[in-house]
Amino acid sequence: MAQGAVTMTSTELSSILSGPGQSSAPGWFKELQAKAWEEFEAEPLPTRSNELWRFSSVKNLGLDGYVAAPEFSGDPFSLTRPREFPQPSGRIIFANDSLVTAELLDPALESAGVIFTTLADALKKHPDRLREHFMAQSVRLGSAKFASLHKSLVQAGIFIWIPRGVEIHNPFEVFHLVQGDWTTVFPHTLIIAEDNSRVTILEHFVSANPEERGLACGVNDLVLNPGSKLSYISIQEWSRNFVSVQMNSTLAKKDSAALNLALNFGGKYSRLESVSRMVESGARSDMLAISVARDEQEFDQRTLQDHQKPDTTSDLLYKNALHDQSRTIFSGLIKVEPGAHRTDAYQKVRNLLLSDDAEANSMPGLEILADDVRCTHGATSGQVEPEELFYLKSRGINDLAAKRLIARGFLNEVVDRLPQERLSEYLHQQIEARL
Amino acid sequence: MSSIVIQELRVSIADKEIIRGLSLEFSTGEVHAVMGPNGSGKSTLAKVMAGHPDYQVTGGDILMDGVSILEMEPDERSRRGLFMAFQYPMEIPGVSNANFLRAALQARLPEGEELDAVEFYQRLYQKMDLLEIRREFTARAVNEGFSGGEKKRNEILQLAMLEPVFAVLDETDSGLDIDALKVVAKGVNTIRGPEIGILLITHYQRLLNYIIPDFVHVMSEGRIVRSGGKELALELESKGYDWLKAVKPETVGAN
Amino acid sequence: MSTKTDSIAIDRDIGDFYYNVTATRDAGVGLTEKTIDYIVDVKKEPEWIREFRKNAYHVFKSKPLPTHWAGDELKEIDFDVIRYYLASGDAAKRTWEEVPEDIKRTFERLGIPESERKFLAGVEAQFDSEAVYSNIKKAVAEQGVIFMGSTDALKERPDLFRKWFGKVIPTGDNKFSALNSAVFSGGSFIYVPPGVKVKHPLQAYFRINAENFGQFERTLIIADEGSEVMYMEGCTAPKFTTATLHSAVVELVALRGAKIQYITVQNWAPNVFNLVTKRGLAMEEAEIKWIDCNIGSRLTMKYPGVVLKGRKARGEVISIALAGDGQHQDTGAKMIHAADETTSNIVSKSISIGKGRATYRGLVHVPKHLKGCKNNTECDALLINASSRTDTYPAITVRGTGNSTQHEASVSQINAEQIFYMQQRGLSEGQAMSLAVNGFVNDLVSQFPMEYSVELKRLIDLEMEGSVG
Repeated sequence: MAQGAVTMTSTELSSILSGPGQSSAPGWFKELQAKAWEEFEAEPLPTRSNELWRFSSVKNLGLDGYVAAPEFSGDPFSLTRPREFPQPSGRIIFANDSLVTAELLDPALESAGVIFTTLADALKKHPDRLREHFMAQSVRLGSAKFASLHKSLVQAGIFIWIPRGVEIHNPFEVFHLVQGDWTTVFPHTLIIAEDNSRVTILEHFVSANPEERGLACGVNDLVLNPGSKLSYISIQEWSRNFVSVQMNSTLAKKDSAALNLALNFGGKYSRLESVSRMVESGARSDMLAISVARDEQEFDQRTLQDHQKPDTTSDLLYKNALHDQSRTIFSGLIKVEPGAHRTDAYQKVRNLLLSDDAEANSMPGLEILADDVRCTHGATSGQVEPEELFYLKSRGINDLAAKRLIARGFLNEVVDRLPQERLSEYLHQQIEARL
Repeated sequence: MSSIVIQELRVSIADKEIIRGLSLEFSTGEVHAVMGPNGSGKSTLAKVMAGHPDYQVTGGDILMDGVSILEMEPDERSRRGLFMAFQYPMEIPGVSNANFLRAALQARLPEGEELDAVEFYQRLYQKMDLLEIRREFTARAVNEGFSGGEKKRNEILQLAMLEPVFAVLDETDSGLDIDALKVVAKGVNTIRGPEIGILLITHYQRLLNYIIPDFVHVMSEGRIVRSGGKELALELESKGYDWLKAVKPETVGAN
Repeated sequence: MSTKTDSIAIDRDIGDFYYNVTATRDAGVGLTEKTIDYIVDVKKEPEWIREFRKNAYHVFKSKPLPTHWAGDELKEIDFDVIRYYLASGDAAKRTWEEVPEDIKRTFERLGIPESERKFLAGVEAQFDSEAVYSNIKKAVAEQGVIFMGSTDALKERPDLFRKWFGKVIPTGDNKFSALNSAVFSGGSFIYVPPGVKVKHPLQAYFRINAENFGQFERTLIIADEGSEVMYMEGCTAPKFTTATLHSAVVELVALRGAKIQYITVQNWAPNVFNLVTKRGLAMEEAEIKWIDCNIGSRLTMKYPGVVLKGRKARGEVISIALAGDGQHQDTGAKMIHAADETTSNIVSKSISIGKGRATYRGLVHVPKHLKGCKNNTECDALLINASSRTDTYPAITVRGTGNSTQHEASVSQINAEQIFYMQQRGLSEGQAMSLAVNGFVNDLVSQFPMEYSVELKRLIDLEMEGSVG
């Protein structure tokens, strides 16, 4: 099942601003990339006066100095091993956007027709599916320039296709590792779940060195066909000097159920744009995120729950725990299109401020163009409640431990929404290890 | 034998004096009941003993085995063996009962020593059985979505697990139906013994039918106005709190 | 049923009438520096005002229309065809007898003199650009309360006026505050001396009579230490086919311990663009409360705000918006916390009917190192028809561990079972809808003074009667 990465860059470290390099990708794809590069160059960098970038520290978005990823030196497995999920259905590891390994670990899945491979391999073997789905969903939340950048320079990606009716219980696991100062990576994920299939993907983003600067510009597209269930979980642990722009899109068709959970720990500036489109009745999307912000980290989260058809459901819960001088921005919109009656949409952001220098910005939004709907949103910002603290202290737990316990409980509530017990237990451990 | 001595205690909240020179002593092996009408300062007494930050002690002292605890943080008082069962227990979202109790017990161990998980669960399940609490309870978040009765039972479970030297039960009977009250009383009676001193704070005599006190104190307007044996509670029940108004404060202190 | 409809046909357009009034002063069409010179000359204003206006004019010209975040409807305003100043001369009269007959009958039809007799401490009535009537009850004036037109105040009480004028809302706050600063005329000036509690409300009534006209009143209220005052404003205009512009600036200053309540009930005709900037400054332990009811207009953009400048200051916005078919109510609130232990509360309820659109836009700012600040925001939207629209766009910034904010919003529709239940008891669908809508806003309506809440309920009934087939 393993296959080599398509070599798309030369060995010297060229600036990413020199555009797409040599590639063995098919002609139509190269054309797409060349066009995307033109779009990238034509598009200005974002400014704060744009509502979609309100409150964002756009100064972090300069692109000078970043270079194409060099060869990864060292042992990638020393980074993946402590993070591995026990018994995944398959595992793909990229290091500096080059493929390390791709394995389908459950042989039964291969005979069932499941495709679990790299983008480069899929371009060769499944061009029609890629032509149809590759970055087919429009970018709505402000990062068009970065989407074009990603499109023109992407190399390391995964392509997952689950045939009709196939239910996969253990998650697929994907690692993106980065090493080297000023390195850039462009992780890409495209998952198509056919009718009534079921799959879970766990994706890790890990820096080898906690100080090195870098840029990650990732795209994640999920397509849920009728009756399918797709869960996507990401754990972001970029270095504390990383800039990350991640664009996620979910397309949910009739009676399908999508679940997104983002665990954000790393990065200097991390922007997550997440769009869920409920395009047929009965579709549902759960959008969850936990961000633990420390030092001068900034987490910039923009979401859209787009209800295009009647009888669709979405439920968003984003929680931020803010330490030190960190900042968070949440801007979310529930959009109910005309005629999308009996929409049931919920959106909640909660900020727990654990330091006097932390700042939480919340912009929960609603745009409702149909009348028979149930839509609510809420945003709270506060600190550890003194009465809660007193209760814990009265049981002998000291101040610091009590605050930690409360903060952990605050975050755990999000993970507890996962229906898979083994997975949530694994995630609890991962969170515990990072707090 | 350990003892708590409250001497001429004066307590205010937001410049309003609530406890006005209260004195009271109790020791391990004893069960005391403090009764009084609404607004007499009973709950304030419990909170001040536990070290609630909203209350200012303006006079007097609280001694545990001769050492003042007033300057101690609430957690330090707890680790020294003082437990308070809350009238309104807090909900702690996302923190399971098991993790909460483990954190509390771990806090009592010397640094570097780890709580034995197997032993912990054995003991926890045994206490839960006693209080008729179902197993899945351990995974639920502390008090979140609990009924009034479940919250109170949880307080008694914590009391049983933490094994304090002194327990102050603040209106533990309020909001309980008769069956829940019996379960709670059974829990307290099991814990009762020579190693623990218990202070029951209650508005009604009803609880004292199930937990028979050794001493009863009547509180009014921030002071103990009368002390006696268990028969005092019955007298109060039949005559009502209005009866107190005719009674001048007498010398305070039980023993 | 038919008799009811008849009476509604008369009432539902309560402000939709006009009498021909010949203006003796007219700055003409369009806005240039000459328009400003005309206004300054005709009003005999001091030179510093000329400078202030001209500076504002340039700021207005330089600022783009805020269409990047607000509605595109703004583009329907043609600033070149609007008349910026229109008046019939002379200072405001102290008695209704002195008010010219053709103007007086307008206010009589709107019931202003009657209300004044019944329950008001003072009234100012503005007709197009100038106040035609201004009177304060003797007993209130004797307490030292000043209630006069802004133009008079700037001449008669420059000491008080200049100190606060343009300080709460600077010229460049937004494009429309700049426009108002360039061409303002009319509006009220109120000063309440320390400790004086004005028992009855002071009222202003703003009436637009002319077509293609822009009304730009400027109101400044100063409540000195420990004083209390309630101010109410009502606004109407006839229905014209072209756009009419109303762009006021209202500044409130509540000094230590003072309380100001500012109540607005607007019932604009559906061609009016109502683009208003309102803000208050609350010093230590002062309280500013905006009670706002927006009915009518083509587009209303209004976000009353409070800058909580002193410790324990309190700010509140209570807002009801009713967006009828083809209307857009873009309203909200701004709460700027700038001192410890300040609290703010926002309650907004909107109703969208037909193709009406109600938008809530909010800003709550709690900066670093403040302690004990609290904000609570509740926004509830009710959608009447399948084509109705509502939006909510709050922005909340909180820093530090000593403060808390809470924002909640919900969208709902009229419960069909409820309507059925009421119909089964004999109410018409329209009556049932009215009852349900009144129930939805009832807790807020009860915060208006009695006379206004009755009026409000009636206005809601009228809107609802027209909303069902």
